[in-house]
Amino acid sequence: MALLLLAALGSCAPQVLPLYTWGSYEQDSYNYLHKANEESIQNLLLAYQEVIENQEGSRETTPPGICADYGFLLLQLDRVAEGKAMLEKEIELYPESKVFVDRILKLIE
Amino acid sequence: MLKNTILLTLTALVLTTGCTVTEPVSKLQAYNGLYTEKPVSLLIMPPINRSTNVEAKEYFHTTLNVPIANAGYYVIPPFLSMDILKRESAYDAELFLDAPLAKFGEVFGADMALFTLIHKWDKSSIGATVTVDVEYIIKSIHTNEVLFKRRGQVTYDTSMNLGGSGLVGALANMAASAINTAVTKYVDVARACNSYTLSDLPAGTYSPTFLQDSIQNAGKDVFKVTIKK
Repeated sequence: MALLLLAALGSCAPQVLPLYTWGSYEQDSYNYLHKANEESIQNLLLAYQEVIENQEGSRETTPPGICADYGFLLLQLDRVAEGKAMLEKEIELYPESKVFVDRILKLIE
Repeated sequence: MLKNTILLTLTALVLTTGCTVTEPVSKLQAYNGLYTEKPVSLLIMPPINRSTNVEAKEYFHTTLNVPIANAGYYVIPPFLSMDILKRESAYDAELFLDAPLAKFGEVFGADMALFTLIHKWDKSSIGATVTVDVEYIIKSIHTNEVLFKRRGQVTYDTSMNLGGSGLVGALANMAASAINTAVTKYVDVARACNSYTLSDLPAGTYSPTFLQDSIQNAGKDVFKVTIKK
C-alpha cells in the first residue's frame, strides 16, 4: 500500500526532461579532438548515430549542430553523399543554420 | 521601555540583515539584452586559456554546446565552426574579445558569440580537487553588447570517503582519492563548470519556458562553489 502511494506520488511530480539527450557524445567529442585516431573516429560516429536515432529529450528531435557535425565527419571520411545529406538535414531541422551550412555545401561542390 | 527595546531590536535586525542581504536581481535585469534582442543562434568562440594547463582549452571547447543547446538555443555546429575559424586564422578568440563581431554574423549566421576565459586550472597537491576560475561572456554579434557574463571559482572535489577511522582509514582514503584523480576525466570538470554557470542562462527559443523566466532571480555574476563528484 505504502509502495503504491509512493509510486502514485512519484508519477504526479512533473518530470523535467532535458530538451535533448546526448549519450556519450561529450566524452567521444573530446577523445576525437584529442586523439583523432581510428578508434576515436569510430566512437564519435556511433555517438552521433545514437543522439540522432535514440533521442529521448522532450523536443523529440535531434539537437542543434549534430547533423551538420556528423555530416562534416562523414565528408572527411570521403563518404560524400551521406555527408551532404546530413548537412541538408541540419538546414531542414534548423533553418537558422542555412547561412553557414550553405557556405559549407558550396565549398564541397 | 518595552516598546523601546522592541524598536531597538528591530533596528538592530534591520541593520544586521542590511549588511548581509544583497538585493536580488531578476533575470530580466541581469540579462536584459537576451529578453529584448531574443537571439536564437550562438557561436562558440575557441576558449581563451590563460591557465597553465595546456589541455584546458579542449576540455571546455567540446563541452560547451550541450548546456547551451539544452537551454533552448541554436548552437552553430562546434566542430565545423572550429575548422572554419582555424582556416580563417580566427582561432585566437582573444583578438575578438573587444572587437566588432559583425563578420561572425555574416559567416556563421550567428546572433551571439560565447567567449570562455579560463583564468586558472589548479590541481591540489594531494590531487583530490581541481579548482577552476572561469568566466563566460556572451556578446551580441549585432550590437556587440554583453548579454550574459558570469565568473566562477569552481572547485571540483573528487575525494572519496571509504569510511574507516584512525590512521589506516585516513591513509586508505588518501590513496583512494589520489587514484580517483588519476582517472578523473577532466572533461567532467569542464562539464560541471559549464553546467553550473550556464544554468543561469534565460531559456532560449526552443525551450518551453522561453521568455517565462524573466522574474526569476539571477545567480550571482561572480561566485565561488564547490561541486562534489
